[in-house]
Amino acid sequence: MQFYDLHIHSAFAEGESSLEQLAETAKSLGYKGICFSAYFSGDSQIKQLKEKIADVAKKIKIEIFLGFEARNIKDLEKLKNRRQKFDLLLVHGGDLELNKLACETPEVDLLTHPELERNDSGLNHILVKAAEKNNVAIEINFREVLLASKKTRGKILANLQKNVELAKKFGAKIVLCSGAISHFELKDPQVLASFATQIGMSLQDATNSISKIPQEILTENKKRLSNRWVMPGVEIVKEAKE
Amino acid sequence: MKPRLKILMPTLREKERYIKFKIFSEESVEYEDLESAIWNTFLDFYGESGVSKFSLWLIKNLWNPEEQTSIIKCNNNSVQEVVAGLGLISRLGDDRIIIKILGVSGTLRKLK
Repeated sequence: MQFYDLHIHSAFAEGESSLEQLAETAKSLGYKGICFSAYFSGDSQIKQLKEKIADVAKKIKIEIFLGFEARNIKDLEKLKNRRQKFDLLLVHGGDLELNKLACETPEVDLLTHPELERNDSGLNHILVKAAEKNNVAIEINFREVLLASKKTRGKILANLQKNVELAKKFGAKIVLCSGAISHFELKDPQVLASFATQIGMSLQDATNSISKIPQEILTENKKRLSNRWVMPGVEIVKEAKE
Repeated sequence: MKPRLKILMPTLREKERYIKFKIFSEESVEYEDLESAIWNTFLDFYGESGVSKFSLWLIKNLWNPEEQTSIIKCNNNSVQEVVAGLGLISRLGDDRIIIKILGVSGTLRKLK
C-alpha cells in the first residue's frame, strides 16, 4: 500500500528539521510521498521551494509535493489566485470564520486541525456538508494529540471524535496527517491508522485516509496543474476547431 | 507438589498477538527506559482498567539492543490500541524517538 503524509512543516516554514531529514525519515517509515506545507510570503518563494524540493526528491527518491497553508482570509485569497502554481492548498483551521470559508472554497484541498485551540470541534453539519460538496478534506492531526497536556488531551480527542462522526455521516473526506515540524514527530502509517481507530474510524477507513484519499487528492491536483484544467469539475477535453 | 490449574481448552484460551517494533533515536536507548515509557504512556492514555484488557507484556529477553528492536505481546482484540499507544511515545528519557512497527503476528516464530 502507498502511504502519504500531506501536512509536514520543514525548517522553511517554522519547522525544526531540514527537508532532507524529513524526507529521509518519511522514506524509512514507509511513505511513498509527503507534502511540505509552507506559509506564503511571495511569488519568488514558490519557485525557490519548488527547486529545493525537486533536488531533495531526486536525492532521496521519494515523491515530495509543495503545499501552502493559509493562516488567514487574506492569505487564502492570495493563494487562491496562485492555485495552479503549487500542489496543495491547506487552510490552518481553528478560527470559525476561516473554517467556514475553507469548507466553502473548492480550491482548498485540506482543512487542517479545525478544532485547534477550541472548546468545540470547529465544525458542524452545515460546514461538513459544504466540505463534502466542495471536495475539501478534513484533517486529523496527530501532533495536536501528541503534544497536548493530560488535561487537554481528553477534550481534543472528544472534538476529533465529533468531527469523524460528522464526516462519516455526511460523506466528507478525512485525511490523517502527522502534522510534524520535526523528523522525530513523523509517525509510522500503521500508528496513524491505529490511532484513528481509537477516535471512531474503522481500520479500513483509517487506512484509506493515509493512502487512497491523499492519493486521490494528489491525482486531482496533478490535473489542476495542467493547462486543460479550468475550475473544479471542469476541464478542456477537446478544443473546438475554428 | 503444588496443585496446578488444568490448562484451558484452546477455544477458551485468549488469542495472542506479538508486535515487533524498532526504535529510531539519535543515541541507543536502554530497555528499562523503554519499559517505563510504555507503561507510563499506556496508563496515562487508557487508564488501569483499559490496560488490564490488553494482556500487555513487553518481552524482556527479546529486546535487541544492537538493532534496537523489541516485541510486545497483547491479545488479538487489542492490537490497534497497543499500536496507537506505542505511537504516543515520543521520548525515552532525554532522547526523542520514533517507533516503527515491523510486524504483527500470532506466533513469535514468524516475527523472528
